[in-house]
Amino acid sequence: MTRVFRLRLAVAAAALIAALLAALATGACNKQRRVATPLTGFSAPFVFGHFQVPADNPLTEEAVELGRRLFYDPRLSANGRVSCSTCHIQRLAFTDGRVTSVGVSGQPLAFNSMSLANLMWGPQHFFWNGRAATLEEQALIPIQHPDEMAQDLGRLVAELSADASYREMFETAYGEVSAAAIARALASFERTLISSNSRYDQFLRGEITLHPREELGRKLFMVHPDVKVSLRGANCIDCHSQFLTGGFSARYDGFSNNGLDDEEHLQPGLQAVTGNPAHRGLFKVPSLRNIALTAPYMHDGRFKTLEAVLDHYDSGIRNSSTLSSLMVEADNRGAAAAGRISLHLTATEKAAILAFLRTLTDQDFVSAEPFSDPFARP
Amino acid sequence: MPRAKYVIAVLFALAALLGITGWWLYRAAQPIEVALYFHPFVGPEPLLLNESRYPNPGGEGRFKVRDFQFFLSNIRLTGGTGVYTEPDSYHLVRFDGAEPAFGIVLHDVPRRNYQRIEFGIGVDAAANKSLAQRGDLDPNGRMAWNWEVGYKFVLFEGALLRGNASVPLVYHVGFEENYRLIATELHREPLDSRSARLDFRVDILRLFQGSTTVDMAALPSVKFDRADAALLARNFAAMVTPMWPDAAGQPDGAR
Repeated sequence: MTRVFRLRLAVAAAALIAALLAALATGACNKQRRVATPLTGFSAPFVFGHFQVPADNPLTEEAVELGRRLFYDPRLSANGRVSCSTCHIQRLAFTDGRVTSVGVSGQPLAFNSMSLANLMWGPQHFFWNGRAATLEEQALIPIQHPDEMAQDLGRLVAELSADASYREMFETAYGEVSAAAIARALASFERTLISSNSRYDQFLRGEITLHPREELGRKLFMVHPDVKVSLRGANCIDCHSQFLTGGFSARYDGFSNNGLDDEEHLQPGLQAVTGNPAHRGLFKVPSLRNIALTAPYMHDGRFKTLEAVLDHYDSGIRNSSTLSSLMVEADNRGAAAAGRISLHLTATEKAAILAFLRTLTDQDFVSAEPFSDPFARP
Repeated sequence: MPRAKYVIAVLFALAALLGITGWWLYRAAQPIEVALYFHPFVGPEPLLLNESRYPNPGGEGRFKVRDFQFFLSNIRLTGGTGVYTEPDSYHLVRFDGAEPAFGIVLHDVPRRNYQRIEFGIGVDAAANKSLAQRGDLDPNGRMAWNWEVGYKFVLFEGALLRGNASVPLVYHVGFEENYRLIATELHREPLDSRSARLDFRVDILRLFQGSTTVDMAALPSVKFDRADAALLARNFAAMVTPMWPDAAGQPDGAR
């Protein structure tokens, strides 16, 4: 018995020594290269559904903080005057208020600046035509675009490497300063941009009730009209998901031709990426979160107000070969088959939908300190 | 000495027996993979999206399919010796990808003498009421109507061409009473090879041709009207049929 006990003791002692040695060794390594801290306390509403963070770019405190600095740093542009935040301004829910954005060249770009919120949900194809498959891939494209930031990645890496504080941040977060690390850091920061405290969110959490007009608007938003059962609707939900209010995430379900142009004027849209003629004129369905703050509207910024957007959907749809049957068929008067496409909403209904859209504004999101400019002095 | 020889021989035989038994037990304990493939047709023709080529089953004109998706749920393999139930078994079957057929692979299926395969078309009542994201169910997806109504089970969007006129076609069929379970005998398809494969025909035309034949011009859309939805649901029960020889002619739900 005693021999067995002694043996056990010896084994236990050996294990303890080994563990201590291992701990010491890890500690020594830590001194050489600090390890990034996994982001904790990070959550999103249940109704948003699953989200995925790429295995090769886990969310860490250091990566997010580095990404935030890069996002606000004009050194990312060739002339040192344009940062990501030039076209993505927090108080405008990360849009810029322009019809289409303007970068270093001064040439207006082809597209309206897209809001950056809840990017881990909805279509994982970025830009209006879906040409980037990940946020990491997306991040480097505007930096190099001659009209946007016109920066050379090699030059940018050299410039950031010369800055001791950046060098330290990069080393902790990613081990080195590199173009890939820049992309990963920006993507990490963008993944934290979650808007989930609008009045609609509070309603979904059961904390408040909506005003009757907002509630009517919500009901209309969530329904495709069906005259046969006297159900009035504005068919917003045919493209904008019920909780995220953005495009659908499966395959290219989150892209749509929303009837802005007739056949002759249809732009390539998603077809430029997929080569599929059925995708001509389809653009990414944006999230409507904070939509009251993100004027002007549509991929080309053609509508100045939400009223104009609603008028378009109500009676301004232009037919084309790739227009969804859902748009053509949706009519609260039930005469869809003949002639003009129209929802035939009443003025009261349109006002109600606008009231509901305004419940999607999240003041916390547009003022949250962790999303704000780290270089700004209070 | 002969006695020792005898003992050695017996030992060898025992060892061999043990080895074979062990191998057999090991093999029997190895799970298999079962692949299900769904091949889209419109009547006798393979499905081609966005082409106005299929005759209106109940009237004039030709129709095109722009989008077609449906939920296939709760896949089970049953037999005398056991049951396999796929976890979180909600699949959005669709044919707009690069592959002509839609594949579902069942992993880690215990090796048993299965005789039937069962699955549902649509979403069972419990999952239809839930906001949980299981399998391909997604409350923020295209198949979600809204949380008060549940999911579309079958989505067909397209257009009917009559002369120069194009009539939009929208068939969204849901509601829990329209969930249909289908069971098919496996017959000569023993699921005991390392990776078994079952092929099914999905005939979109059966939506409109069955207990009732639909004139698309007279009924160009089905959404929230319960009677219209039930009509298409009676038809869609016969939409998915096995492609292997000797398969039972009619699935259960078609009666």
